[in-house]
Amino acid sequence: MNFELTEEQQLVSDSIERFVKENYDLESRVKIAMQAPGFSPDYWKTMSELGWLGLPFSEDQGGFGGNQLDTMVLMEQFGRGLVLEPYLASVILGGGAVKRSATDAQRKAWLEGVIDGSKQLALAYAEPESGYEPENVAMAGTMTDSGYSLTGTKCMVLHGKTADAFVVSFRTSGGVVDKAGISLAIIPADRDGLSVQGFPTVDGLQSSELTFDKVAVSADDLLGDVDAGFETLNATINDGILAVAAEALGAMEILYKDTVAYTQDREQFGHPLAEFQVLQHRMVEMFMEYEQCKSLLIRATMEVASGGKDAQRNVHALKHLIGKASSFVGENAVQTHGGMGVTEELRLGHYFKRLLVIEAQFGNTDYHLDQFAA
Amino acid sequence: MDIELSKEDLAFEAEVREFLAENAYKNGEDPNKWRMDWFEKARAKGGWDVPKWPAKFGGPGWTPSQHFVWQKETARAGTPWDMPFGLSMLAPVLMAHGSKEQQERFMPDIRARKVNWCQGYSEPGAGSDLASLKTKAELTADGKHYIVNGTKIWTTMAHIADWIFCLTRTSSDGIKQEGITFLLFPMKQEGIEVKPIITLGGSHTVNTVFFTDVKVPVENRVGVEGKGWTYAKGLLEHERTGIAGISNSIVALEGLKEKASSVKRGNGSLMDVPSFRAKVAALEIDLMAVEYTELRSLATASAGTAPGPESSILKLKGTDIQQRIQKLTMEAGGQFSAAWGGTNAGPDFARAGMGGYMSSRVYTIYGGASEVQKDIVTKKVLGIKSSKK
Repeated sequence: MNFELTEEQQLVSDSIERFVKENYDLESRVKIAMQAPGFSPDYWKTMSELGWLGLPFSEDQGGFGGNQLDTMVLMEQFGRGLVLEPYLASVILGGGAVKRSATDAQRKAWLEGVIDGSKQLALAYAEPESGYEPENVAMAGTMTDSGYSLTGTKCMVLHGKTADAFVVSFRTSGGVVDKAGISLAIIPADRDGLSVQGFPTVDGLQSSELTFDKVAVSADDLLGDVDAGFETLNATINDGILAVAAEALGAMEILYKDTVAYTQDREQFGHPLAEFQVLQHRMVEMFMEYEQCKSLLIRATMEVASGGKDAQRNVHALKHLIGKASSFVGENAVQTHGGMGVTEELRLGHYFKRLLVIEAQFGNTDYHLDQFAA
Repeated sequence: MDIELSKEDLAFEAEVREFLAENAYKNGEDPNKWRMDWFEKARAKGGWDVPKWPAKFGGPGWTPSQHFVWQKETARAGTPWDMPFGLSMLAPVLMAHGSKEQQERFMPDIRARKVNWCQGYSEPGAGSDLASLKTKAELTADGKHYIVNGTKIWTTMAHIADWIFCLTRTSSDGIKQEGITFLLFPMKQEGIEVKPIITLGGSHTVNTVFFTDVKVPVENRVGVEGKGWTYAKGLLEHERTGIAGISNSIVALEGLKEKASSVKRGNGSLMDVPSFRAKVAALEIDLMAVEYTELRSLATASAGTAPGPESSILKLKGTDIQQRIQKLTMEAGGQFSAAWGGTNAGPDFARAGMGGYMSSRVYTIYGGASEVQKDIVTKKVLGIKSSKK
């Protein structure tokens, strides 16, 4: 048994920690977030030069042959730094779907660019009424002479405004919530009939809504077999869940540690806040929630990376626990900081906001509890 | 024990409903004119513009059940926006401790909603531990003025306020609760700087206020020098009862149910999902209980006197309920609640979801944090004396 990081993982972890320290103070982050495109193209370039964008792709695809454990290490550090760049959108989600099902031609067309940072992908699967179920796909692919025609809406597409292409789910057979009958395609952002409306989210990141008006999909655009896209979609979303869980863990670490530090500094009633037992116990609980999340994150990530039969249940369990713990740690970090906790001035509020958005992403805390129990 | 409204109360209820329906805002109306007219008409009803003021000061002198009816009906129907600082916080202090001159000078303008007040209480180093405040007021040699220096923080609406009621330190001898003096002075004058604080919901309601040699005439002191803490304490209890917001929560809960019913899940709505439904139900049960806790406290407190330690219980429970409503509203909005402007994605209510939730976190902090409320209940209600932290 060994929970130590490998030498390579430690190197990646250390280099991101350094990168964050040098580039991601609160003031810089706010500045970057407020300006289009909502992240730093320079940082993005640095990330590709340091090899981070190629981490989860096999060597024959031009990557470094890493798996979910490697991206876990990276995302945890991104979480500690509250990094804005579209790693989740392009590398984990868009790239994740492509690497699983693409033809050689599609890999060549898209993955090289994802890895060297010259191209961005995004995953478009949620719809106005799909709730949190990835299998709930209403947008129909209507057969045409040359392929399919898509009309409909995809919602909350992370970093859609800067994406060069989208991996899109649509229905080619079956009912709205059937897992069979979902197809995937890679559709370039400039395709006729596709419009992208970008908007910021609460956490300073960028999201978008995609409107499809008779968008033509050819056989070459299809990602994987017709009707058989769910497996890839679901596996990609699972990777997304592992990634944001690791990010949330990093954010929670900052929150509980900042709270411990603040209570030792701030005095009320003639004592540092840290001397009040009610706050001591609360901070112990915040710490325990963090540690429990760390354990389950490692468990679930290992299970998924090794293709274990319990992987899906582990992912549901993880997203539930992360959501529950984020809420507890976030709310109590704010509460313990008092008035300062609800301002934009301290960094903790920004971490809290990121945790809120993660909680509502890929299925919230209740949704995954229901899935786990089902 | 009797909880039925009497025949008189029912008649009063009908009268209130009629008044609120008749004077409801109509589309296209000038909102400011409507607001001022509304208060004018409420005044003509016999002090309905100042429901909580005692009859002696021009209030309606209602019974506890009439107050209950008013709260319930106005929460549902909505009333013009109002600031609590002059009306519900300063006015009771002036009634109890102000001079006749001060009452005559300040209360008519408060009542007419002509002058906006803000509250200068918390300081950077004095939050929950309010009594350790340091803003200094020094009497000039001729004894005619106080010179005020210091910093107040979390001052709600300081940027639009005309006047401030302010706790200042006139002496550092003795225990910290002594030597605090209650002063009133205009905000628009030399030596006062207001700096906005942007909160997590992205809004500007609170401020930091800096005083540099602000000159305040002694006749603007309320009561006796050094006894400000006693006056302020009663005021805090008024504030806490207001913050509990129970009538508003009853209306907000209904809103939550409507919103969740509009969100499609499977063949039904989010309200049909057992885990969500159970949380809404648990919330409703707590609200049903606290509604009666408030009624019980209303029944024991005769109009005009400060509510007692039970206001701490109301604040604790009431703010918890408000936060849970905001949290469930955010949850009902699902992933769309993360959107921050610039989109029509998802249901309309969803887009304010995370903002509303974040803003609600302050409910358990301001007006005395929940931890401090629990300390008050420990000491005042349970009678536990504790020197240990």
